[in-house]
Amino acid sequence: MFDLAIFIVLLVLGYGFGTYAEKRHYKSIFEREAFLRKKVLTFAERFPPPAQIAPEVLLVAGNVVISIDYFKQVVAGLRSLVGGRITSFESLLDRARREAILRMKEDAYAAGAQSIFNVKIETSSISRGKRDQIGSVEVLAYGTAVISR
Amino acid sequence: MGYSNPKIPEGVNISSEHPLKEFLILAVGLMVAAVFAVFILSVFAQFFALKIPFKTELDLIRTYQETLVSEKMVSENIGRGENLLKIEAYLQGLADSLAGVQNLPEGMLVQVNYIDDDTVNAFATLGGQIMIHRGLLEQLPHENSLVMVLAHEIAHIRFRDPIVSLGRGITIALSLAVILNATDTGMFDSLLGQAGLLTAMSFSREQESRADQAALDALSQYYGHIGGSEELFDIFAMQREVLSPPSFLSTHPLTQERIDEARAYASDHELKENVEFRPLPDWLQNSLYP
Repeated sequence: MFDLAIFIVLLVLGYGFGTYAEKRHYKSIFEREAFLRKKVLTFAERFPPPAQIAPEVLLVAGNVVISIDYFKQVVAGLRSLVGGRITSFESLLDRARREAILRMKEDAYAAGAQSIFNVKIETSSISRGKRDQIGSVEVLAYGTAVISR
Repeated sequence: MGYSNPKIPEGVNISSEHPLKEFLILAVGLMVAAVFAVFILSVFAQFFALKIPFKTELDLIRTYQETLVSEKMVSENIGRGENLLKIEAYLQGLADSLAGVQNLPEGMLVQVNYIDDDTVNAFATLGGQIMIHRGLLEQLPHENSLVMVLAHEIAHIRFRDPIVSLGRGITIALSLAVILNATDTGMFDSLLGQAGLLTAMSFSREQESRADQAALDALSQYYGHIGGSEELFDIFAMQREVLSPPSFLSTHPLTQERIDEARAYASDHELKENVEFRPLPDWLQNSLYP
């Protein structure tokens, strides 16, 4: 009974804090994306177009680690029994990816760049122990910022 | 320059389904599936457990029996042993004559162990072992209710309830372990693991009712009436009030149900009119209440 109580408390805490953190994070992401959308452009192309030969280039990167909450972990654990989309992880990865790109853009904006070329994204899970107690994801975004004076 | 980064529509990469909805569907669905699977498995386990020969039960408890014997030797050394052995021999004698009444199959033996502590309990376990604690013996008003206790436990052994329960318990524990390993969540592990252990060595209500019926049969054959059974149920009812375990954990039928069953039994069968109780032997009373 005691274990069940702990479990339910953890579940409720995980859901409450997880939902609150996610809402707040998305709000911040929307605001910063809107702010930087016109200021710093991102491109997957490796080089800037020939017309825009840059006077100065700079390596910019943004890195983020986001942890899963207990509720998401339990849902994912249940999901792993029957298969299907782990929807509880989707928003987690979406937030991590956008946050990493935002940090990279903020890095470039602070350096006075208007565009970033050759943008790459890498993901790795912070690997968990034997009993898989912590699940968190790392996303790294990096690229070449072009600064025209 | 004509370049721009468009605003990407929201909600492409994430599902709009509410997380609580998904959790409820998964949790309820899996729970129903698990209950169904455990039910099917325990039906199979009960069926196959009955095929295990009684001799195998004896092999299973051999090491346990050795420790029991050595414990008895220790208490003998500190000077209390003689009395314990005398009580045990008395209980064994009662059990042997009851075993004759209850038609134990060939090769099935009953061994009574008297345990010198205050627990108000008696139980049957693998290999025809019956444990009776001093605490229960002290509460019994006369031989009739002691015979009811012994007959109930012998009935468990005759129906092979201990091995059926063990088989069912192990099967449930193993299947839970397999499921839990797949979920990767530590909390679930300890949670459901305990539920599995809880069921491991208790008898189901059906098993208890059946043992009650058989015990009433034996009691009426032994004395010609079933006096003493109600007193025994009352003792357990009082104990239950003291300990008050949550009712859903209790596998014994409610006391009132058991008393009703005993009364129904009495009205269905032709029993002696005058109920006479046979007292416990004097030497035993003297040693229990010095």
